[in-house]
Amino acid sequence: MAIEAQAAAASPSSGRKPAPPSLAAAALRKSFGGVEVLHGVDLELHPGEVHALLGENGAGKSTIINMLSGRLRPDSGEISLNGVPVSFRNPLAARRAGVSVIAQELELVPTMSVVENVFLGAEPTAYGLIRWGDAGRKVRAVLRELGLDIDPDRIVSTIGVADQQLVEIAKAIIGDFRVLIMDEPTSALNLSDTERLFKIVRRLKAAGVAILYVSHRLWEVFDIADRVTVVRDGNRIFTEEIGNTDVRAVIRGMLGTKSSLLEGAERDRAPRMSHAASAPAIELRGISSGGLLKEIDLTVAAGEVVGLAGVIGSGRAELCEAIYGLRSIDAGEIRLRGAPAVLAEPRRSLSQGTFLLPEDRKLDGVFADLDVRENVILNFVAEPTKGKASGLNVIRGGIERSAFSAMRERLGIRCPGATAPITALSGGNQQKALFARAVLSKPSVLILSEPTRGVDVGAKEEIYAAIDAFAAQGIAVIVSSSEIGELIRLCDRIQVLRGGRIVGQLPAAQAAEQTILEMMAG
Amino acid sequence: MQATLKKWLGADSAAAVIALVAVLVVFSLISPHFLTFINIQNIVVRAAILAVTGLGMTLIISMRALDLSVGSVMGFAAIVAAELLVRGVAMPLVVLAGLAAGCLLGLLNGLLITLLKIPSFVATLATLSMIFGMELLITDGQTVSIHTPLLNRLVVGNVFGVIPGAVVIALIVFAATWLIFYRTPFGRHVAAIGGDLKSAVGAGINVRLVTVGAFVLVGLCAALSGLMTAAQLQNVNSTIGVGAELTAIAVVVVGGTSLSGGRGNLFGTLCAALLLSAIKSGLNITNVSPLWEDLVFGGILIVALIVDGLRRETGRKGMLAL
Repeated sequence: MAIEAQAAAASPSSGRKPAPPSLAAAALRKSFGGVEVLHGVDLELHPGEVHALLGENGAGKSTIINMLSGRLRPDSGEISLNGVPVSFRNPLAARRAGVSVIAQELELVPTMSVVENVFLGAEPTAYGLIRWGDAGRKVRAVLRELGLDIDPDRIVSTIGVADQQLVEIAKAIIGDFRVLIMDEPTSALNLSDTERLFKIVRRLKAAGVAILYVSHRLWEVFDIADRVTVVRDGNRIFTEEIGNTDVRAVIRGMLGTKSSLLEGAERDRAPRMSHAASAPAIELRGISSGGLLKEIDLTVAAGEVVGLAGVIGSGRAELCEAIYGLRSIDAGEIRLRGAPAVLAEPRRSLSQGTFLLPEDRKLDGVFADLDVRENVILNFVAEPTKGKASGLNVIRGGIERSAFSAMRERLGIRCPGATAPITALSGGNQQKALFARAVLSKPSVLILSEPTRGVDVGAKEEIYAAIDAFAAQGIAVIVSSSEIGELIRLCDRIQVLRGGRIVGQLPAAQAAEQTILEMMAG
Repeated sequence: MQATLKKWLGADSAAAVIALVAVLVVFSLISPHFLTFINIQNIVVRAAILAVTGLGMTLIISMRALDLSVGSVMGFAAIVAAELLVRGVAMPLVVLAGLAAGCLLGLLNGLLITLLKIPSFVATLATLSMIFGMELLITDGQTVSIHTPLLNRLVVGNVFGVIPGAVVIALIVFAATWLIFYRTPFGRHVAAIGGDLKSAVGAGINVRLVTVGAFVLVGLCAALSGLMTAAQLQNVNSTIGVGAELTAIAVVVVGGTSLSGGRGNLFGTLCAALLLSAIKSGLNITNVSPLWEDLVFGGILIVALIVDGLRRETGRKGMLAL
């Protein structure tokens, strides 16, 4: 409905002289705290174009997007819409001018309904009163297009993350707009949702909308984009027609000199020791939980990496939560190192050496108010000092500082300083900080839920290497991931979940992506 | 239809309704004087006065803020009205002046919170004390007697012989706040600010303006409660409204509005006002010393907070509940 209106608006392009770009940015510069992070970037979006913006975390993508959408103001440089210079005071001004954004981080009010969220700040009114009937019908139509069949009156906190992402998308495409900025729109979507989103992107494109598309999934970019701009360290490296470039060139552009990481990194890793002999670090027997998990059996040996594959809703995320004690278990038992364990809550799981790296980094992982070091050393278990009973649980600054520095070095956490706010770090570095927290808690079982979501290629390899190193130390690792390639790269065995059950198990060495996908689909 | 009714009346108010029915049944079994016409009138008039402030407070709490100054605003509005009445100012003007005073004090709160970025809890704690001080200075600590049978009848007199005026006023305020909260962009923005501030900002909501607006509204509600109290008592001094902020917060929370913000339950607030008023009357009529009242109300508040905590714990366990 909204899309047809766009088409009508875009059609009168009779004049032969080239139309001005829908949105153009020239020489954008931005500094934070005296450090310039963007050194004069140019970008042009044309009507009916899907333009991919690629770069590592910290390359400046978010800063560019935030300036184009009124969340930040450039220090210098110019933004123009259809050739007319503009300056957005706030996100609403940008939206009113026709620039719509699908934010990477969900911007939904969890206590309010779907329809209230979609229209928040732009409620349709008559005589000062909101026309909820009208609003509901419009939302229903857009949600149907997105393949989401939920009641618009549902409270947002009661629907899953993937559905919330679709609501966020609905919010962006419901009004009138000529420019759509999509920041990692697929990071929480499964394959079929992604396909549906692409269909909508193609229709918007045909209707003359200019689309800026940001994603870490390169295959997506080559599937959907017309042109690609690569940025690195706050500079534009190149802008190219998609037909004139390839994945390799793009990655080289993104990584610069670090591109050696890519060469042959795909599948080979140092072979792990044999786990057949080592004792099981964790055993699950017949775990069931609230209809979402059904009689799950799983054994992971010390030093082994076991992958969990499955679509969203298959029980993959729920299993991780259940092991960590975030979800109550109705039946079954968990044994740690052979002894029955009650992991009823994270505090106990932690004290027994189990650690979960959560799927939603922003919500469940980092403490936004604490600095990097405080985030890292949160669960730090110091070696008892010799001859000194550690009866008093006092934070010992010196030991912690050195523990943090060691971790920072080992995992390559790039941060302005130990006391910088964690939120100032890029997604990949925040994730590394959480890894550091995990290691410092000296776990024997490490559960990783989507360990590289929203993390760029370079940081991904570093995280993989860290996981390999943990396993080599004898930590039992459980990896839950939506990226099959990642599981194949990391794991010794892959368990496939569907409908809350484990429906198959295969050694990663023999696993083909296709086989796993088929098992997931059932 | 049932679902719609449930949605707008709020499923979370069930606890308050059940408790209300239970209290009515228990006290009427204990004492034959409980369910008499006169006593019911007492209960509903007091409940109406509680509810008017509570309805405004519901918006504030759904915005994840607090207004501790409502009690002082009640007293201040009553004193302004009384002082003008004894000076012979016409009644309609007096009422307007009292309400305007409430709005101005609400504006003051709103500006302190938004411009000076003082948390609402602290800002209104300061104005609570300031406004109370002004009351003492104006009245010199004395009681002002007003003789306004008309005003008195407006509040305690019966419409159609059965419904006290105060109840009509409270129902009008309920309808107005209901429309504002659920059916206007302003009301939804209040809830959005309480639910997730960052998302509210991202949606382009003018957080400062909405915050100030909500505090003006609660100031208006509190002033109206104060005027109703003055009309009922006919004797006005600075004790009017003392402690009313805690009762107002209790009424909101018992009514099913969560202190964590983002949602508000106006119908629940109405029920909880009746509940608290019925309990007060019941304790009174069964000869329980009034000294017990605060203890009982505090206990009810704690139960309501526990229920609120449990409600927020869904399939995934609430980490901070324990």
